[in-house]
Amino acid sequence: MHHRYIDRFAQGDSPVHRLDARAKLIAVVAYSAVVISFPRYAVTELAPLAVMPMAMLWLGGVPAWFALRRVLLLSPFVLFVCLLSPWYDRALHPAGFGSWRFEIAGGWLTSADIAAKFTLGVLALTALTSTTRFAWMLEGMRRLGAPSMLLVQLGFLYRYLFVLIDEAMRVRRGRDFRGAALAPAGRRLSAAGSILANLFVRTLERSERISMAMAARGYAGEWHGLNVLRFRARDAAFLAGVALYLAACRWPWLSAR
Amino acid sequence: MVLAMHMGNELLSIPMAVVTLALAGLLVGAAALRARKTLSAEKLPLMGVMGAFVFAGQMINFTLPGMPGTSGHLVGGVLLAIVLGPAAAIVTLTAILVVQCFLFQDGGLLALGCNILNMGVLPCVLGWGLYRLALGAAERAKAWRQYAATWLACVAGVTAGAALVPVEASFSGVLRIPTVQFLGVMVGVHLLIGFIEGLITFVVVAYLREIRPEALGLTPAAAGAGGVRTGAGKLSRGAVAASFLVTAALLAGVIAWFASGSPGGLEWSLLEHRYGTGEKAAGEGSSAASGADTWQAKWSLLPDYGKRSAPLGEAPAGAKGVQEPSEGGASAVKGWTSLAGMIGTAVTLGIVYLAGAILRRRGSIVGENGRQG
Repeated sequence: MHHRYIDRFAQGDSPVHRLDARAKLIAVVAYSAVVISFPRYAVTELAPLAVMPMAMLWLGGVPAWFALRRVLLLSPFVLFVCLLSPWYDRALHPAGFGSWRFEIAGGWLTSADIAAKFTLGVLALTALTSTTRFAWMLEGMRRLGAPSMLLVQLGFLYRYLFVLIDEAMRVRRGRDFRGAALAPAGRRLSAAGSILANLFVRTLERSERISMAMAARGYAGEWHGLNVLRFRARDAAFLAGVALYLAACRWPWLSAR
Repeated sequence: MVLAMHMGNELLSIPMAVVTLALAGLLVGAAALRARKTLSAEKLPLMGVMGAFVFAGQMINFTLPGMPGTSGHLVGGVLLAIVLGPAAAIVTLTAILVVQCFLFQDGGLLALGCNILNMGVLPCVLGWGLYRLALGAAERAKAWRQYAATWLACVAGVTAGAALVPVEASFSGVLRIPTVQFLGVMVGVHLLIGFIEGLITFVVVAYLREIRPEALGLTPAAAGAGGVRTGAGKLSRGAVAASFLVTAALLAGVIAWFASGSPGGLEWSLLEHRYGTGEKAAGEGSSAASGADTWQAKWSLLPDYGKRSAPLGEAPAGAKGVQEPSEGGASAVKGWTSLAGMIGTAVTLGIVYLAGAILRRRGSIVGENGRQG
């Protein structure tokens, strides 16, 4: 398993990819804050907010099915919350769509609102992560003042995630070929435990080898990365545009005046 | 872990997001400082690589007995806390949660603070504390005692973290689902998850005791001299059965409790009290555990007392009398609707779980990769 399998779109090149990681990160955080700042029964007001993540995905060359599949995969918990809301909140609320006026139970409005906010949030996060390389994201977070200790661990996690998943897959395949599914439950459990503990020990040893390799290459407590981030005029323009757009979405009456 | 308790942005208000992010940042910063002090420089890669291990460990799944179609796997928080200590475990879990958020979009960006508190800080601190408390002297611990400590740490850690989700959601005020009902569902589901987690964490810990005792902070001599080598890897059937029964009794108790109306503040403290005794009893041994079991079974008859008040006299705790007036008469009807709500909740949960299982199998990255080999 190569890491491109998960973040293959992040390696691409497009106007969105070329933006500074910091600009995109700040934009998506602000965007998420605006999305959840809408009140509980807001549904149609959220519609214009779909523009930004869609545009980022489209301009970044990320196919829509990829982003939508992410939304679907993550939906069960939210779905559970959405299905429950109408049961408890049955007070009627006036609602309107165009010239059509009707009353609807508050629970359904809440459900639609939560589902919409969830979808928008996942789309925006997908737009961010599939147009930004993880290493650049870490560098951006470092420049924005995140603690270096955590960032170093994140770097290690990302680097070895795919190595260890590969290893676990190989072990699992070996287990399955040996007919693990036919074993009684107790044996299955203890086999899983032994495999996990074995992987655990191997991981401990691997981390010792890594630190030896780092020491051999002169690591002295200071982390050096390739300095690829540069905050250019187009990043400032992007941020200004996003700020205007978010303000217009949040307070539409300002632009109407 | 379809129902993993990753919180999304959409359940939070902005003040709640800001407060939890600040709190999580503070706590993780403190944990990072402490980890840097306790871990030597050559162990720097340890935490990140261990985070990768937790992801990889989730590939090693096994089908659960009696529940075909479902499979369990390690969640890992309590295991990390036991092996690395709480500070390093918190840093590791934070790294895991950030990667889950960025790479897999699991949990929202602004909800990261909540998720770090629910799944990192609380399970690590609580799980580690209970584990150390229940285990006593580590090098002489018998297998059943280690099992009880692990089970206790996992059940308490996982459940407590899950219980925070409805609390945070209700403080945010987005949801209209009554907090109590939501809490009941989350606690019920995560009691079971905690049980499975405890089982598998114990198997890992037992194996580690045999082959790498120093990873658990033991000297090899101590592990060998204690006579654990012979029996540590064996899972005592009685211990598993006892802990399963206690979990089931707790579960029945929770469902009964939350279905029997909305408890007030007094009843809450009562619930906590009972929780405490139930778990302590389980930690003390199988005879005490079975005692707690029958006690819990008595207690789980509670949903019936809306109709008949006879068991009230036999009820072990006098506090039950305090609670009775609030349930009598007209509010019995309310109790029935909330019971119906509870059943509806459980059914919905089942449907959603099935849908999730199918979706995961069809389309998840992990599943696809598994098929590719």
